Amino acid sequence: MIKTDVIIIGGGATGCGIARDLALRGIPHCLIEKGDFAAGATGACHGLLHSGGRYVVTDPIAARECYEENLILRRIGEKCVEQTGGLFVRLPGDSKRFREVFLRGCEEVGIPTEVISSTKAIDLIPNLNPEIEEAIKVPDCSIDPFRLCMLNIRTSQLRGGVIFTRHKVTEIVKSHGRCIGIKATDQATGEVREIRGNIIVNATGAWANMIASLAGSEVPMTLSKGSLVITNHRLTNMVINRLRPPSDGDIIVPNEAVCLAGTTSLAVDNPDKISIGSPEVDTIISEAGRMIPHFNNTRIIRAFSGVRPLLKSNKMDSHEISRGFQILDHANGMYSIVGGKLSTFRLMAEKMVDVIMDSFKLKRACETAEIPLEGQEELSGYPLSKRLADMKNIVCECELVNRNEVERIIYQTGTKNVGDIQHRTRLGMGPCQGGFCTFRALGIMNDMSVISPEQSMEMLRGFLQRRFRGIRYALWGDQLREEQLVEYIYLGILAMEKPQ
Amino acid sequence: MSVTEYDVIIIGAGVAGLTAGAFLAGRGFKVALVTTGEPTACLSTGCIDVCSRDHNPLTGIKELPLAHPFHLAPEKTIREALNNFQAAMLDMGIPYTGALEENRLVLSALGTFKTSCLVPSTMEAAPQDAKDSIHIISFAGLKDFYPSYIISRRKNTKVSVYDAGVSSTMGIASHFEEKEFLEKFIIWLEKIDIQEDKIAFPAVLGLESAAKIINTISILTGKPVFEIPTIPPSMPGRRLFNALKNYFRKKGGDLYWSWPVIGVEKSGKIIEAVMTTSKGRPTSLNGKAFILATGSFVGGGLTATREAIIENVFNLPVHFPGTRETWFDNDYFSFNHGIGKAGIIADSSLRPTGSPWENIFVCGGILADTEIIKNGCGHGLALATAHVAAKSCMEYIR
Repeated sequence: MIKTDVIIIGGGATGCGIARDLALRGIPHCLIEKGDFAAGATGACHGLLHSGGRYVVTDPIAARECYEENLILRRIGEKCVEQTGGLFVRLPGDSKRFREVFLRGCEEVGIPTEVISSTKAIDLIPNLNPEIEEAIKVPDCSIDPFRLCMLNIRTSQLRGGVIFTRHKVTEIVKSHGRCIGIKATDQATGEVREIRGNIIVNATGAWANMIASLAGSEVPMTLSKGSLVITNHRLTNMVINRLRPPSDGDIIVPNEAVCLAGTTSLAVDNPDKISIGSPEVDTIISEAGRMIPHFNNTRIIRAFSGVRPLLKSNKMDSHEISRGFQILDHANGMYSIVGGKLSTFRLMAEKMVDVIMDSFKLKRACETAEIPLEGQEELSGYPLSKRLADMKNIVCECELVNRNEVERIIYQTGTKNVGDIQHRTRLGMGPCQGGFCTFRALGIMNDMSVISPEQSMEMLRGFLQRRFRGIRYALWGDQLREEQLVEYIYLGILAMEKPQ
Repeated sequence: MSVTEYDVIIIGAGVAGLTAGAFLAGRGFKVALVTTGEPTACLSTGCIDVCSRDHNPLTGIKELPLAHPFHLAPEKTIREALNNFQAAMLDMGIPYTGALEENRLVLSALGTFKTSCLVPSTMEAAPQDAKDSIHIISFAGLKDFYPSYIISRRKNTKVSVYDAGVSSTMGIASHFEEKEFLEKFIIWLEKIDIQEDKIAFPAVLGLESAAKIINTISILTGKPVFEIPTIPPSMPGRRLFNALKNYFRKKGGDLYWSWPVIGVEKSGKIIEAVMTTSKGRPTSLNGKAFILATGSFVGGGLTATREAIIENVFNLPVHFPGTRETWFDNDYFSFNHGIGKAGIIADSSLRPTGSPWENIFVCGGILADTEIIKNGCGHGLALATAHVAAKSCMEYIR
């Protein structure tokens, strides 16, 4: 049995941020995550570090938080934040009144803006719709949510934090009405681990109510599904927003070699049972296509959804629900932290740890806003020049990942899961979506004896099934062509059978 | 624009297009074959799958749904098509083994069995059950072949690794065409103590000479030797394509390599010509009849948009199951994706139904209701329908 002070459940941005904050304030802690880091809404978002502009009209408090955090993250996380800048573009027919309210809102919150002509905007982003009326420049950025989580966890690990991924919390242990620990099951081996702590933090996002209910508590939430699509090109070097009230398909974010566009906002009940409808995909493409016409013809490599854990609200349109966050004290040793945004994860973690410090009657100020994220050089040091150096051993042709890099990650993390390699190297993230390279990566893991031949076969099967769930909503044009080839390879050439 | 007159213009250089072309050219017709480039046959295992639904392919064909295009080819025609193919491949130095009455098994790179009808002689010795122990010779750094997948299914498997100095399938295969390399390799192989029943190689034993190399190794070791097909680039697929291409040329056909069709000239119910271009030179190829063998989506015969599925050369009416929600099942391994049914519906002479043209014939993967992966009927269906289409075309011209 492991004993610690604080048990964090959930390895999204919030949970990882709390682990880092606790580590910097010297509080022993343990983090449990049922999948890999950033597996929930954190990894299923735009990867947009908001300037706050998106919310100045509807939610000025969230807008202010976003802007302040934007400044901080650009400072402390320069290797996982790309300072792209952003534009809010006004198309013919978009309300001029909204523009005025928007500019006034930005001024009140303190977000720097610059109104630029359509000609100047097209100079900046040649793919922009030439019909735009004007654009407003804001300091939006692109952020890598996987890297962000791993860098936060790095600080925790360097300071003795105990981390378990692929462990699912199945029980909250209580004594005299207080939560004193958890039991978690190793998803690979089925082994049950018991961890004892004084405080439990429930940072499980859309799953918060499920975890709270294990302790007999409740977290009132509205779950809102947002869907996104990924293109195989970087169609813009800046974040593009539509200058109108928050709505479907109004944001395009460049990330590495691709672009993400979204989102939608639909109420859902169960975060484990979400699917994407073709109309959603069509809406995103046509709305994004209004801002960047080329979007209508470009290759979409995948569509995916995340579930936003929003604060409970009676508002009918979930676009209007506050993106603010809340800390709930269940008065039994467990706290739940819900709502918020990826952009404000650090602030959420700070407030949460402030509460924990109070309850421990300790005084040590938060330093997460001042100290740069540790290990950035090492984790993000995989530039294109390095990837191209060893062409002979390229394992993933789409993202230029070579065998040495795959082997390094396997050594470093001891992972038995091919998904962990994908999140850390971008293997399988390109147009073929792992169609070729996963067969190879699992073969390499087997060569290195980290998994058995039987496991590699089983994992290949699981991977193909999961992969298909992501791409099946983007199957037409070249992506359908590629998919037919991959299907032919696995089910035809390699003769994979129907799972028993 | 230059204009050239032909009897028959074939579009597509896959198994269907090349065999239809060789059939017609061999009977004295002036045949042109236009292609954008390498066909999907190059990506295949080189095996001729006829129908994997039953141990006996002919029985399997009878069980296919009524709409399946295999029913457009009588048994006699299928037999003729396969016999012609085997004779042609023997002529070109890549003999095929197998018979229409009995499917064979090919060991896959995952250790599973792939069911096929005619297989390249290099796969003839593949085990037909779980009993034979095998010794795999793999190559250092070869990124598309991992013996461990096979070991997960066949415990009585040993592996030895040879360092060929290169690590790609193509690279190793071209080395095997060099005498010195082969000699050095054989010296290495002789030192290995092989106790197992059979010797297996990933399919890298030469660009063209695999049958001979396997024979040499088999005599030397006294053991049956066979190749395991790999994921693309696939050597057996390339050998098949090259042999078909050379056979077509040998029969007197003209090959327009890397010439995409950019337009069609029509008059009344007749297609008169296809316009094509290479290096900016537009050419009109006039023909009395046209055979469309451009394949399905991977081959480039069909394109899916978000709303519909389009045939790319003549804009023929395409049959497809419905809106794009119906194209794919949620379960990847369902073997039942609706998209497998998309294609051109043809009548018994393999003319596309619902189109006004009387001098177009279609064959191969572009046909509707093939469900090639589910039925295991790829190249076999191409051979059979190409045979029917070529015959119909011949009758039409006469």
